[in-house]
Amino acid sequence: MMAEATTPSTSGVNADSPTLVVQATGLVKRYGHVTALDGMDFELRDREILAVIGDNGAGKSSLIRALSGALIPDSGEICLDGKRVHFRSPIDARRAGIETVYQELAVAPAMTIAENLFLGREVRRAGVLGSVLRMLDKKRMLRESAEYLAELRIGIGSMTQAVETLSGGQRQGVAVARSAAFARHVVIMDEPTAALGVKEGTQVLELIRRVRDRGLAVVLISHNMPHVFEIADRIHVARLGKRAAVLDPKRVSMSDAVAVMTGAIAAEQLA
Amino acid sequence: MAAWRMTRPSFGAIGPLLALLGACLFFATQSDRFFTGDNFALVLQQVMVVGVIAIGQTLVVLTAGVDLSCGMVMALGGIVMTTLASASGVPVPVAIACGIGVTALFGAINGWLVTAIKLPPFIVTLGTLNIAFAITQLYSDAQTVTEIPESMTALGRTFDIGGTSVVYGVVLMLLLYGVARFVLRETAAGRHVYAVGNNPEATRLTGIPTQRVLLGVYVTAGVCYGLAALLSVARTGVGDPNAGQTENLDAITAVVLGGTSLFGGRGSVLGSLVGALIVGVFRNGLTLMGVSSVYQILITGVLVILAVTADQLSRRGQGGR
Repeated sequence: MMAEATTPSTSGVNADSPTLVVQATGLVKRYGHVTALDGMDFELRDREILAVIGDNGAGKSSLIRALSGALIPDSGEICLDGKRVHFRSPIDARRAGIETVYQELAVAPAMTIAENLFLGREVRRAGVLGSVLRMLDKKRMLRESAEYLAELRIGIGSMTQAVETLSGGQRQGVAVARSAAFARHVVIMDEPTAALGVKEGTQVLELIRRVRDRGLAVVLISHNMPHVFEIADRIHVARLGKRAAVLDPKRVSMSDAVAVMTGAIAAEQLA
Repeated sequence: MAAWRMTRPSFGAIGPLLALLGACLFFATQSDRFFTGDNFALVLQQVMVVGVIAIGQTLVVLTAGVDLSCGMVMALGGIVMTTLASASGVPVPVAIACGIGVTALFGAINGWLVTAIKLPPFIVTLGTLNIAFAITQLYSDAQTVTEIPESMTALGRTFDIGGTSVVYGVVLMLLLYGVARFVLRETAAGRHVYAVGNNPEATRLTGIPTQRVLLGVYVTAGVCYGLAALLSVARTGVGDPNAGQTENLDAITAVVLGGTSLFGGRGSVLGSLVGALIVGVFRNGLTLMGVSSVYQILITGVLVILAVTADQLSRRGQGGR
């Protein structure tokens, strides 16, 4: 079952532990005198929702940026499905099967839902129309978008609607759906519920669960502790550029998690 | 809340067409000569150069840029192709290709400065506007190029539709609009142009090579200016080093009047054709009414401000940034 609070030094894979989709060890990133990552370790299991929490400057976002290819660590290694990877850009990470939902920059607002879902992966028509005239198969993309959003139970009627006409929650739904549709291994979500109301936030949480249930591993960055505790299978606590602990939300309380995050108590004291 | 917006047709699509129809109706009541086939053929002929420049301009504006150099680059292309064909005796097709090559090169320079050096398009094209103008004057010695081979002005010849003479260049313009519309709406490359204008960062993160899209847009725009140069030469019968000076801003006016947003990512190329026709119809109609050209310029200015205001207000309505 879920591991209880583990010490930060355990980076090796135990024989009885589940399959690791992503494993990062000893990530270091320095900007001049500032150390963003100071030997950060990270483990993401198959089909889990791993929340990453930490104070500002704890290395949380640097870690995520390293995993999504937006930052190249000075040292340390990242393995995806057991194979060492070197991401030079977010596009490399995407090609390797890691999709990221960014807070603000997820969608092209004036374009339709279907266009957003297929942006950069457009489907062309069969035959001469597709190969010579390079015509898009709009009908197929519309149909597949509708099927896909229905499967994820995102309630949006028309795929030809411009994304900017959607509510914040629906828009986030499209962004999440887009990433989940194209990810082969991992979806990273940066504060997916931050700008949303209570009801919409809950809907996005539901959606994240369904994404996991479809067989993907999800990394969730959030400041919202109730959301983290509601949805996460495990919680990675970042502190001072290191992994302070990995917590089981079923065994620790929210206030204990915050205490570990701020350094008020050490992770070992929780056991 | 979102539902009623869905059903409301966007101003960007319908507004310009209504404005054009309104202008036509107004001028029809003011002048007997306005509503005739010959007059419409004349408007089209007057609009074809601006119309083709506006295709390139639309592409640039869709990526949230603007190309101030369009008219001057066109003038340079016209001077290059006419000088080569007349004085240097280069075969006409080769001369035309060289002229378009030069305008495409200027597009590539604009695109390179915008993508590689990351300078604002406004500043880049303000610079190339002056550079292109100066090169045109130096290369032509500020002289009009005459005695152009007849085959070079073939697009200025006319054919007959129901007793009205239409210039072949108009057909080329309409053809180019058809091609541009197809590419923008039906192909991935076209959708990527919109995406880059809409949200460049999100587009880049999907793996679309946004810099290449931008570069392609500027080069294609350059090719459009070269084709416009060919039409300009065909229409006037000379290589004019001072060509393109009204077309320069008229093309931007046409794009804006056509409902393409200066903030990028929304609009249509056919809108720019409508915008160019609005400018053309106003010029033509006011001339027929005997209004002096200074007032025509004044009215064009007012139209542009109205169009941009409409664009802004409709964006606010949609909750866009």
